Amino acid sequence: MAYDPRVAGSSTPDVLTSAPSESISTDSSLAMATESEKQQSVDGPASESFKLKFCTVCASNNNRSMEGHLKLSTVSFPVISFGTGSLVRLPGPTITQPNVYSFNTTSYNQMYEELQSKDERLYRNNGILNMLGRNRQLKWGPERFQDWVPGLPRLDHVAKGDKGALGTEGGVVDVIITCEERCWDAVVDDLMNKGSPLNRPVHVFNVDIKDNHEEASIGGRAILDLAMRLNEAATQERKANGSEGWENGAGEARRSFDEKVPEILAAWQEKWPHLPALWTLAWL
Amino acid sequence: MAQMGDNLVDQVAQLNAARNLVLGDAALYPQIVHGILPIIGAHSRLELRRWGSDFLAETFASPVLATAQKDVLAEKVLQTLREILELPEGDAAVLKSVVQASASLYPLVFRHVINHPAATAIWESMTAIKQNILQRWDNFPTAVKICCVKFVQRIIQVQTPGLISDPRRPEQNETSLAIVPRGHALLTIPNLEAESSGLLDRLLSVFQENSSDPLFVNATLNCLSVLIRTRQSISNKIISAILSFNPHKQVNGPMTPSLRVGLKSMERTTRSLLVNIMKRSPNHPLAGKMQQHIERMAQSRVEALDEISRKRTLPGETIDSLESAKRARMDAPTPPTVKIPPLPQGPISYSQLFTLTEDAGLSSFDVKQLPMDLIVRITVPVLARIDPSVFSQALEGIRNRYQTLSQQQAASRQPAAVEEEEDDYEPEYQPMDVSDLGPDQPDATKPEVDEFQPDIVSLGPFVLPQPPPLTEDEAGELGRSAATRVFSMLGAPDLSSQPGKAQQRPLGFSRLAGSTFDRDAWATLLTRLATRAPAGLEVDTGDTKTDRGLQKKPTVSDTVRETLYRYILEDFRSRLNLGISWLNEEWYNDRIQLRFAATQRGEEDSDEPSVPLHYDRWVVRLLDGILPYLDSRDLKVLVRFLSEIPEMTIPVAQRVASLAKDPERVNLCVQALLYLIMFRPPAREMCLNTLEDVYNTYEESRPVAGKILVKWRPAAVETQQSETPAETSQQ
Repeated sequence: MAYDPRVAGSSTPDVLTSAPSESISTDSSLAMATESEKQQSVDGPASESFKLKFCTVCASNNNRSMEGHLKLSTVSFPVISFGTGSLVRLPGPTITQPNVYSFNTTSYNQMYEELQSKDERLYRNNGILNMLGRNRQLKWGPERFQDWVPGLPRLDHVAKGDKGALGTEGGVVDVIITCEERCWDAVVDDLMNKGSPLNRPVHVFNVDIKDNHEEASIGGRAILDLAMRLNEAATQERKANGSEGWENGAGEARRSFDEKVPEILAAWQEKWPHLPALWTLAWL
Repeated sequence: MAQMGDNLVDQVAQLNAARNLVLGDAALYPQIVHGILPIIGAHSRLELRRWGSDFLAETFASPVLATAQKDVLAEKVLQTLREILELPEGDAAVLKSVVQASASLYPLVFRHVINHPAATAIWESMTAIKQNILQRWDNFPTAVKICCVKFVQRIIQVQTPGLISDPRRPEQNETSLAIVPRGHALLTIPNLEAESSGLLDRLLSVFQENSSDPLFVNATLNCLSVLIRTRQSISNKIISAILSFNPHKQVNGPMTPSLRVGLKSMERTTRSLLVNIMKRSPNHPLAGKMQQHIERMAQSRVEALDEISRKRTLPGETIDSLESAKRARMDAPTPPTVKIPPLPQGPISYSQLFTLTEDAGLSSFDVKQLPMDLIVRITVPVLARIDPSVFSQALEGIRNRYQTLSQQQAASRQPAAVEEEEDDYEPEYQPMDVSDLGPDQPDATKPEVDEFQPDIVSLGPFVLPQPPPLTEDEAGELGRSAATRVFSMLGAPDLSSQPGKAQQRPLGFSRLAGSTFDRDAWATLLTRLATRAPAGLEVDTGDTKTDRGLQKKPTVSDTVRETLYRYILEDFRSRLNLGISWLNEEWYNDRIQLRFAATQRGEEDSDEPSVPLHYDRWVVRLLDGILPYLDSRDLKVLVRFLSEIPEMTIPVAQRVASLAKDPERVNLCVQALLYLIMFRPPAREMCLNTLEDVYNTYEESRPVAGKILVKWRPAAVETQQSETPAETSQQ
């Protein structure tokens, strides 16, 4: 594998410097709203700009889910990301001394600075600093899935300039992609516990990715591939049922996005046989 | 047209701006919703309707908008939703949002109507929406159908009684049928409950259909958790429906990749739901079944599909407990041909015959060290995934070995025909000599055996002569004398000092009956000897046994019973314990025998199974033995006897009633019956009848018995009292 994840990590700032975090004026929410509207219209006409909203999940919301977050937000999918662990755990000097942080209250920047001051060489060499450096460009800090309240507006994340936040203001997603079966179990279980107050369906996928930088990078591309396929199907459905075409489409084109999901995943799995996948239809 | 298009883009932009406003400040919702409703109504363009229904679904699902405010908005919104729903076109995206919004609105409106019984209009709108959705459920596009699953789940959740967490603060209670007041003007509890029960059946029917669509199965599974958790009355029904569902069992036709995705997803979602339930209530009565179901599904997956994982690893749980040597062997790619190593020279043991591996560590591994169930769990999946060609090669190899071996043995045997006897003789020797050495090296004994052979041939096997057969009488006699000796243990003086020791060490729940070697242990032994030992032996002569006196000679068990009876009567006040445990054993044995006889009953014999029943006879006999000696202060003894015997019968009750003949013991009789009436509900009717008889028959009992009957059976006293004046006047 010629692909070096550290290159990806160090290159993220270049990819993302175009994000206009300071161009969003926060003085009035109305101004902000029109601003975001302009942002969306850049992508094309109203019917074209329909996008599924994604959520990536791994254990610590640092490596795999953030790689997915990066890949998805780079092509301007609305995306949010979470971890399902009880704490954020990053590798330490030995396997028994991990660096542990709490979710929701520690920023990537804090972690970055703390580890840099602890032992810059170590954390540079094992890729942790590069990873945190990438993450702090994407959003403020790791969030815990179990603490997420679906439907709670996330305007503050848009205001902070989180990448992929546009389109997630309503605090809901259409697709959740986890990076490990344990996380998929945790997500499905937690959604059951939340009692699905929103009555909104959500497709929950798992793409089994090993927790290291190389695999995360491959996994990120696989996640993006899956997201593109899903979005393609959803856009097709939208078009077929659109104001112009809703009575013209027939047969295959009329089949809904949801119906196609098992086939999409199966086709995707053929292409990515080393990342065993899993899926269910749950409720937010 | 371009003008219109621009106009539309502007409108949507404005609407989005408005949405961002309310997302920022939920207090603005009422204002914005009222402003938006006319724009997005049934008469507006499709894009606007899509946007609008989406927005309404979001609004009523929002966790930041207070319920009270949603409540205020509901009525007007319902009207709009109803109009959109009743449009003929049926755009899937719009319908999807409308159904979602209705699912959020339903509990809200339901609660509103509970508190405002006069709110006819709003309830009518909601009901119309509900009926519309439910009628079109089957014909909706898939995306909308999925949302209908959730809508129906909400209706069931609302229209099934839930928990009342705090009856004093009704506003805190969750919306459910339990908080609907009886006699509500709009909500009739039985109708609502019937509706939700029907909907539940329809919802669960997805598990019975043969061609289960993973979309609907998963959508249903994922919304059931909250019903199982909070709706006690239907949770078991839901769980059994899930337990009867095994996605892998319904596969027919070719296994396509998408079918495989669907099957795996249904299995894993079922598993997640069951695990979710078990985590919430680890002591759930169905927890065992749920665990089994999870394992069974995993098993069928291994059988039915997953060639991918066949190439990867065995299922996780089977591998964890194995030694690394084993794991290495299973992970290694199966060689195309099996190497059959030649057998070593000289005598061969069975284990050597069947061993194909040359790994010394593996062949000396004693499988008996592993628990049975673990072995089963390992072996079954392993057998399931053995490559058939490898398996047949291995079988062929063993067969060849066996055949050459038996040919060799036959060849070496023929010169000396005497060696034939070796086969007869060896099994007798093996348990003594070989068992200590373990099954791995039985060949170690072979040289020895060979050395001894000449002697054995000359001596022949030694067999103890058969004892002369006992006659039935002799056997009975011996049995009786054994029983007598056991009885002598009961009276042995040294045993009486034992209980002190036994009390020092409490025995706990895991004790076994009769394991302490004190008097109680011997008593237990005796009662069981009387009741259980001859079980099944007396069946044929059962009919004669039940009437006493027809027998010529008592059997062992009846002797024991007779002796027990006398032993108890000798000092019934202190030995009542023994009597009660004996009668319990007697009763238990009767039940077990009856059940056994019922299962043994063939189809052709129409007779009732006949089993000798002892309890009824002996309980009456023991009571008859005791009654003459009871005096008026023995209430405790009598009450204990009557309350602890396993079954009250009419003859027993009659015996108790007979106590009332003696004016001194009337009180004893009535109090005993009163105790039974109060604390032995199954016998209550019988005892009341008896008490009524006593009351009617014995004049002396009336003051006491009357008081009780007034309370328990007032009618009896009234008729008696109405008759009494008549009788006295006749006299």
